[in-house]
Amino acid sequence: MEDLTKKKTYVEDIERSLYDIRNEDRSLYKSAKGLTEEVVRDISKRKNDPDWMLQKRLEALKIYNEMPMPTWGPDLSPLHMDDIVTYVRPDAKMTGNWKEVPEEIKDTFDRLGIPEAEKTSLAGVGAQYDSEVVYHSMQKELADQGVIYTDFETAVREYPDIVKQYFMTLIPPTAHKFAALHGAVWSGGSFVYVPEGVHVDIPLQSYFRLNAAGAGQFEHTLIICEKGSSLHFIEGCSAPKYNVTNLHAGAVELFVKEGARLRYSTIENWSRNMMNLNTKRALVDKDGVIEWVSGSFGSHVSCLYPTSVLRGENAKCEFTGVTFSSKGQDLDTGASALLLAPHTSANINTRTISKAGGKATYRSAVKVAPAAKDAKCLVNCESLMLDDQSRSDTLPVMDIQADDVEVGHEAKIGRISDEAIFYLTSRGIDEKEAQAMIVRGFVEPISKALPVEYAVEMNNLINLELEGTMG
Amino acid sequence: MADTLLEIKGLHAGVADKEILKGLDLTVRKGEVHVILGPNGSGKSTLMNVIMGHPKYKVFGGSVAFEGEDITALPTFERARKGIFLSFQTPEEIPGITVENMLRTARQAITGKHERIFAFRKELKATMAELQMDPSYAERYLNVGFSGGEKKRNEILQLLMLNPKLALLDETDSGLDVDAVQIVSNGVRKFHNDDNACLIITHNTRILDKLKVDKVHVLLHGRIVEEGGAELVDVINREGFTHLQQKA
Amino acid sequence: METEKTLYSAIPMRTWRWLGVNEAYVPSDVVWNEKDVPAAADRKLSVAKGTVREETVVYRTEPSGRVTIDVAPGAKLHLTKVQLLPADKGHVDALEINVAEGAEAHVTIAELGAAETVTKVTINLNGDGALGDLAAIYLGSGSQKVDLNYVIRQAGRKTKAEMQVRGALKDRSEKIFRGTLDFIRGSKGSVGREREEVVLLNEGVRNRSVPLMLSGEDDVDGHHAVSVGKMDQEKLFYITSRGLDLSEAQRLVVEASFNPVLERIEDKALRAEIEQYIEERISDGK
Repeated sequence: MEDLTKKKTYVEDIERSLYDIRNEDRSLYKSAKGLTEEVVRDISKRKNDPDWMLQKRLEALKIYNEMPMPTWGPDLSPLHMDDIVTYVRPDAKMTGNWKEVPEEIKDTFDRLGIPEAEKTSLAGVGAQYDSEVVYHSMQKELADQGVIYTDFETAVREYPDIVKQYFMTLIPPTAHKFAALHGAVWSGGSFVYVPEGVHVDIPLQSYFRLNAAGAGQFEHTLIICEKGSSLHFIEGCSAPKYNVTNLHAGAVELFVKEGARLRYSTIENWSRNMMNLNTKRALVDKDGVIEWVSGSFGSHVSCLYPTSVLRGENAKCEFTGVTFSSKGQDLDTGASALLLAPHTSANINTRTISKAGGKATYRSAVKVAPAAKDAKCLVNCESLMLDDQSRSDTLPVMDIQADDVEVGHEAKIGRISDEAIFYLTSRGIDEKEAQAMIVRGFVEPISKALPVEYAVEMNNLINLELEGTMG
Repeated sequence: MADTLLEIKGLHAGVADKEILKGLDLTVRKGEVHVILGPNGSGKSTLMNVIMGHPKYKVFGGSVAFEGEDITALPTFERARKGIFLSFQTPEEIPGITVENMLRTARQAITGKHERIFAFRKELKATMAELQMDPSYAERYLNVGFSGGEKKRNEILQLLMLNPKLALLDETDSGLDVDAVQIVSNGVRKFHNDDNACLIITHNTRILDKLKVDKVHVLLHGRIVEEGGAELVDVINREGFTHLQQKA
Repeated sequence: METEKTLYSAIPMRTWRWLGVNEAYVPSDVVWNEKDVPAAADRKLSVAKGTVREETVVYRTEPSGRVTIDVAPGAKLHLTKVQLLPADKGHVDALEINVAEGAEAHVTIAELGAAETVTKVTINLNGDGALGDLAAIYLGSGSQKVDLNYVIRQAGRKTKAEMQVRGALKDRSEKIFRGTLDFIRGSKGSVGREREEVVLLNEGVRNRSVPLMLSGEDDVDGHHAVSVGKMDQEKLFYITSRGLDLSEAQRLVVEASFNPVLERIEDKALRAEIEQYIEERISDGK
């Protein structure tokens, strides 16, 4: 009498040795723990901020102190701001020459494949280690066309007028508590300026690596795509695992001008001690297009909802996201779209997977303003649960204030069907591979939107996450 | 016997606690074509699923052997790797996995050899052409948005590409128009040779026209109540199953 | 000075406050305390094991109330709730149904009247194989505010939930619909379906839709869908080309959308009353 019912076993955590190699903390300087005016002034001084930037920081700090913690979403109690080191300066100077990057830091990025990718598939690369950018480079042809791609400190120093005009206007410190925190202690990040009509055909990539334990990373990314220009920007994030809580509260502000097109791709693979409270917003003018591709894998807690503000007529947003939540993780992800002008459209497509007690939440907001005649919005989110220990919740909100609209929302939740597994195993594929194939198929709409190297990376991450699910 | 492929002895099987097959014996040898007839609910599909090792079905007694080896407890994919193939009555739709990807993965799993992408693709396209399938279907997701006929053709495509020793065809011809039955039937005939065998469930004799049927079994209430040669198909078509009811 | 508001209902999981959908409050002209409901407005019913009960609750003049129903194993409830209050009144009402093993709750709701309606429905599918089938229509016109909070909680194994809501908004009306399917861990083999369709009849309306789907169980099949848009212009043109004016054409289109729900109301007189009410609301309002 043979019971052929499959048995499931779980592993504690995934194999992520590649990401987990932590270097000795050789930082040159660390700010005091916690957040006080002295800490903020100190960071500002060490970064040689101009006075207007110091004032902005202090103003943000004031707002931070006055704002309450969020009353919705994941449990943020593991986060003790008094224990977080907000500024960690690595023992390295920013350089445009890879050879000058200190050996240990270079090794880290080598293992993550950054210099290799620069050679083969990128037009420019930035690498941030803890609080400071240690390497930045871009192809000369792009510089000749007026494209600027630099670390954020350099931008503050060399392009103060542009930075002043845009910095924290889309994500003001009043947006929420962690935006205010970011405004007070931001450090590092990237600045990209694409002049009118310039098409950057090969992607630029910034990689953010947080090495120090108990630290926060608060990089600021500002991208301006002028009229009729185009760009694909890729952001990668990772950190080794520690037993203390790390915090990531970056801010990404994207300005897509008339007829411009920007694709912003991210694969976040933070370690399981990371509180990832990241804010990303795009402001899109007439005929502009913002495309988000967002993969959320690691972290203990993530709150990430890229927001597209479509303020120009016929502006468009496409959002494709995948979230994989495993043991001990609470990943609260989604997207928001504000359709403010006529003929604007938003397309949101997400896949979430939860496993081994992980919690995945899809949260979104779509708002159609009274002026947005002939607006279109389609949302599709599908959730896959790999066992009955996990959670998957879907919480979309639509606020429609115009009548001439077409708004559709669809969500599904379920598991891999036994019949689908049987079909594939009857063709000779073993159960583990059949399950992996189905999960990869489930996220296909997202991997299709990524450049091939990143689609491969995402598939690898999925395979790592799935390893050990079947006994 | 050396050329015995499938040997089922005293098989009792069903779903949960419900026994559907109540003591069934069946032997299929290389080169043979067997047909199973029976009304709905007689246990035909259960038999196919049990041979393929569907986890939902339980074996309460008896055994299933393939090429002399007891496979009663073997997981489905191992059976497939030994050379058993099931053409599903209702093939699953699986989004995100292309027909080509699935078939190449399956063939590598079965043969244990790496399949070179271009050579495999060439062979796939040629086989699709024989089945009058649009080559773009290779890039489409498994059965997603396929019509009933396309799904069945896709099953025969897999049969030809994976080239098993024993093909289980579960109503592969049902719901097809005359031309489609013709294509499927040609596919099965192309597959069949002296080294392999077919076990066919059908309500339609047209699929059998081009095959030499060796044995026909009539299944009623989980038991084989009548066996004979190809002529039995015509008898059943004429007289139905009622006269066999008391035998069950 | 902000006046004290009384919380009436909330969604099972909170989201961003700026959307204003987390909670609903008792309208300012309604005196209501959930903890102290007057006996006359507080009905408790039950459907005995294996029996069938038909029940109709109509709010015509009495503004507010609460109904709690226990449906015993194998029993069937057919409940119709209709709200046809005058357009100057506030209204709150709650409906809670507990469904035992193998029992069925079929609920049909028409939420049509009152200046401001705040209503909630909770169906607990506690027993294995319990069925919850909720179909509702609402109509907003003038400056009406409609606030609906429907929750079907699937706790038993192999439960089945169906939630369909059809609405039309006209003039300056506003509406919030929160519909939750909640699959509790252990609700293996359960299926849940939720669908909302909203027709927007003119500029100036505001529609908020919040379809939640919560799950602690993998062996479930859940699906929800929302569609919001204006009337099909081709349909409208076809009807007006036959000589009907805009408001008549609107009424036909709205009725066509409501019909699958209205057809569930067996009481012919009540159905006629509802249709008459809808007709009046669509042709005047403004």
